[in-house]
Amino acid sequence: MSDNDAELVALIDNELDESARSALLARLAADEGLRQRYDALRQTSAPLAVAFEGLLGQAPLARLTAALPQPVSRPSLRFAGLALRQLAAGFVIGLLAAGAAAWAFGLFGDRDNWRSAVAQYTDLYTNETFSPLTPDAASQAAELSAIRARVGGDLTPENVALPDLRFATAFLLSYGDHPLGVIAFVDPTGAPVLLCILADRAPDAPIRAERRGDLALASWSDDGRSYLVIGRIPKQRAVALAQILQPRV
Amino acid sequence: MNSREAMSEASRREVRAGLQPSLARLWRYALVLSRARDVADDLVQATCLRAIERADQFTPGTRVDRWLFAILRSVWLNELRSRRIREGGGFVDAEDALTTDGAREIEMNITASAVLREIGRLPEAQRETILLVYGEGYSYAEAAAALGIPIGTVMSRLAAGRAALAKLK
Repeated sequence: MSDNDAELVALIDNELDESARSALLARLAADEGLRQRYDALRQTSAPLAVAFEGLLGQAPLARLTAALPQPVSRPSLRFAGLALRQLAAGFVIGLLAAGAAAWAFGLFGDRDNWRSAVAQYTDLYTNETFSPLTPDAASQAAELSAIRARVGGDLTPENVALPDLRFATAFLLSYGDHPLGVIAFVDPTGAPVLLCILADRAPDAPIRAERRGDLALASWSDDGRSYLVIGRIPKQRAVALAQILQPRV
Repeated sequence: MNSREAMSEASRREVRAGLQPSLARLWRYALVLSRARDVADDLVQATCLRAIERADQFTPGTRVDRWLFAILRSVWLNELRSRRIREGGGFVDAEDALTTDGAREIEMNITASAVLREIGRLPEAQRETILLVYGEGYSYAEAAAALGIPIGTVMSRLAAGRAALAKLK
């Protein structure tokens, strides 16, 4: 009986090759007892499917989901080991080098020079600096929220969504005694483009563009904050990005 | 980022994205193997952790659910199974693990309930083979590869399972 069973089950499951199948079908045609056994075994198919489906429905999804390991961003970047104030929720960014340290300690007290300071440290960033960071939506929202809490402005994932740029990270620094928010994006090659927001109580000023070395800068002031878009991009692109952001943030 | 790093990042992303959608099926497999709901929970959690740790070993573009099942099986055999046997006892209740939640019968179709109880009584090897082929849709060849057995053994285990169920009426 059990020798037949294995072959009958393979027939039911459509796992017999053509010749074995033909041979078995011929035997079934000639053997009533074998046909009955085939039917009995075949009738277990539907109950099996229903039973396994039912078992699937019992899965305690909420509990299992809650027990999933939480994502941890692990940027492969090294700390310069410098005391830069940053409040990015939940993870440590090691991105900055000596140039950044110099200005962060407030060597440039002059408001107009903040753009020079940002340009100097942006110049140190490469296509590998931010591209390893791949935050999920929750991390992005949390980081932007931390920035918003210190510098103000309407910083949400939707408002800072830019064409051909992916959000990488956002962090807080200070310039003089003003909080400075930095939102870093990367383009498809990993090249960084930053949006910097300085809560400096500056008077309103329209978008103006400049070049410093191979960096393009587009800056404006609005609502007591100064904004800067900066990256190794054409000046027109920096201005275009500024124009998108200005009404939003 | 160089291409090796890009590949690792793709592996990690696909593994992480594949965890949530596979949870219920991982749990079902874990329960069929362990016949204990608390062990099934542990087994799923350990599998997810192991999957993340080993994400670099996953080939992007391949089936992440099958990869996760292989990890679950490995964790069961190498770690949780012996613990389950040591904690012993409860084996008398094990066959009911698929139809009760420890306290009471789970409401379901009478036939499904009878089938699950019968599956719970089968030897582990048969239970597992039946789950993979009839629950997860593995072909005989895929099941043979996943379990490290000849196709003929897959066939005889499935036949024994169906024969046991055919006796129910």
